[in-house]
Amino acid sequence: MSAYMGKLLYVDLNKGTATEMPLDPQLAENFVGGKGFGAKILYDLLPAGCDPLSPQNILMFMPGPITGTLAPANRGCVVTKSPLTNTFADSYFGGHFAQEIRFCGYDGIVITGAAAEPSYLWIDEGKVEVRSAEGAWGLDTFAAVEKIREELGDISVKTACIGPAGEKMVSFALINCEYNRHAGRAGTGAVMGSKNLKAVVLRGSKPVIPADAEAFSAAVDQAYKELAEDETIASFTTDGTPASIDFANDEQLLPTNNYTDGAFEGAGGLNAEAQRKHFWLRNVACAGCPIACGKVGIIKRGRRKGLVTDVVEYETAAMVGSNLGIKDIREVSYLVKKCDALGLDGMSAGGVIGFAIEAFQNGLITAEQTGGLELKFGDTATAEYLLDAIAAREGLGDLLAGGVKQAAARLGGGADQYAVHVKGLESPAWGPRSVPGMGLALATADRGGCHQRAFPILYEVGGEWNGVEVDRAALKGKGEIVAHLQNYLAALDTLVKCDFAAYGIRDATYCRLLETATGGSWDVEKLMALGERIWNQVRLFNLREGFTRADDTLPKRFTEQPLPEGPFAGQMITLQDLDRMLDEYYAVRGWDEEGKPTEEKLKQLGLDQMPKLV
Amino acid sequence: MIYLRGEFDLCTGCGACQLACSNRAAGGYSPRLARLKVFSENENLVNRPLVCTQCENPFCMNSCPFDAISKSDLTGVVLVDKETCTGCGNCVTACPDNMIQLDSGGKADKCDMCEGEPLCVKYCVPQALKLVEKREAGEVASK
Repeated sequence: MSAYMGKLLYVDLNKGTATEMPLDPQLAENFVGGKGFGAKILYDLLPAGCDPLSPQNILMFMPGPITGTLAPANRGCVVTKSPLTNTFADSYFGGHFAQEIRFCGYDGIVITGAAAEPSYLWIDEGKVEVRSAEGAWGLDTFAAVEKIREELGDISVKTACIGPAGEKMVSFALINCEYNRHAGRAGTGAVMGSKNLKAVVLRGSKPVIPADAEAFSAAVDQAYKELAEDETIASFTTDGTPASIDFANDEQLLPTNNYTDGAFEGAGGLNAEAQRKHFWLRNVACAGCPIACGKVGIIKRGRRKGLVTDVVEYETAAMVGSNLGIKDIREVSYLVKKCDALGLDGMSAGGVIGFAIEAFQNGLITAEQTGGLELKFGDTATAEYLLDAIAAREGLGDLLAGGVKQAAARLGGGADQYAVHVKGLESPAWGPRSVPGMGLALATADRGGCHQRAFPILYEVGGEWNGVEVDRAALKGKGEIVAHLQNYLAALDTLVKCDFAAYGIRDATYCRLLETATGGSWDVEKLMALGERIWNQVRLFNLREGFTRADDTLPKRFTEQPLPEGPFAGQMITLQDLDRMLDEYYAVRGWDEEGKPTEEKLKQLGLDQMPKLV
Repeated sequence: MIYLRGEFDLCTGCGACQLACSNRAAGGYSPRLARLKVFSENENLVNRPLVCTQCENPFCMNSCPFDAISKSDLTGVVLVDKETCTGCGNCVTACPDNMIQLDSGGKADKCDMCEGEPLCVKYCVPQALKLVEKREAGEVASK
């Protein structure tokens, strides 16, 4: 017995067929689950250079081997080739959807092809059906969930769906995993839309049974204890992620007016205190999570009175708030909920709108293209107009629907200086100019500008590494920190961990959970090797797609335009700085100067002779 | 006399209660096999735990043609004698909250209060599930 369900479900939407395949033991042993399964399957089965929006692209929903158990806070990920970046993309989601995949009896769902008509996939206790989505097509994500529940006559089904933006294949469309839980980044929703797939709906009751139930329960209790004793975890429970608004603002890391600054005068209107005051009513958690960083409530007063909204988590509070110069959390909440309903990634949306405003201010976008509307910071109407236009791909919205990289290329005239992205993925809400390690993390993240693959800020701002205080401004040593964090987090992304729980649960405890669940033997060294194997596997994918050292870079805003004011005024990460860090990083990784894994490294990781999946 | 109470204002909807319960009741983690339910409403603004309250006048017990269900004089817990149960399903139909169902062996299955230390309460970090002890008529103490 093992916590693996022992099967992957392959769905071919071209033919409307579903096939259960036994889980390959080598896949389980070397790649474990989640990101690992996605990395191996995408590399082996996707033809090089495949158009991400073509039927051949592969869309996967991957839980991990402890997802669906009582082990606290585990999730799932969507893995595909991104239409926004053309890289490997893994996008993580909470809620209850990943668990239900396991209760349906699968260790993952792999979808290829495209349906002839708008459809949804209904997986009910091992019965798989491609159904017409005629009644749900065109609906926003909230209405689509309701419609499908109504049609199936059960409010307990678990749904992952796209909104109008996904249907229109907006490059930064998300997949909604009801409610306020999303596979948000890198355009997974566009891939789903390209397959004419409105939703995947699940209902299952198969039990997940650990290999050693008693020892697993003991490991679960240990994880619960570690979470209960951790101060950072306590802060997530009390204040959610908006607690980071104050920290980021103090440290000049908060994106403000399209990253022109790192501090925002209106930060106090966006933080946990402001959110609590205006709407929080209660804590909400994803499946099996004792932390409960969600805070649902109803806006009490003002023009958004009555709006039911979850916490505006840090990233969107910053990207749609400070980055657009909006000071009132109620307005931000309204806009973020609009993103959720339309099925747009709020983070990228904030980057795209910030870009558009700056391009407008500099004459690259004109009032003729906006129906006379002046695009400006601090203005809800600007954001609202652009969100609607993007989701519908109307006029200027169509130009922006490909993300800032593509929009800048189409506008020309130096628009790239306002396009804040890495590899096409709009940067997350951590301006890196005064924290070069974070800059390196963004430049080398596998799916483009992402803070979740490594977050060295924790060490650069008053932290220690191997017992030594980290010099915030230093370039030396950052490569090692970033590579280590990337490997560790890639390993945990096989489980699939929650980023926040990982602050509290120790590495040895994750190992114990994994080995008692699956029956294998795990220690921290093996865990780190797993992470490194996956990181290299993904690197091989991106190299095959044509990415080079030149793509491991940062936008001009961070390399050429220094922070304008405050304690870190004048700081930026020049391309020379970045080169020095990249040299060290590649060396630590055992990659050559071009960022390619050496044969020796591949051999060490067992990737040189790994059998190909068929 | 002991029973469970669930609070909608505190329940985060995480379902750890159902995971812990199903692991004991069904030998594996699966919320739909748990002996309690959680319903989420209005974009998760409300999460409503639904538990067996060990009724004073248990419909499940009263509807059983084989006297396979009894209420403990000591604890008030309503228990199924699986030896006697024929799996006729009368009790399943009788309970308006669907708190009793047939297990994989075809026998009636319901919350037995984990012999006085409910696992659902143990894993309910937000303390939305409470073990309530009723000492005498009218006197209720929350543990």
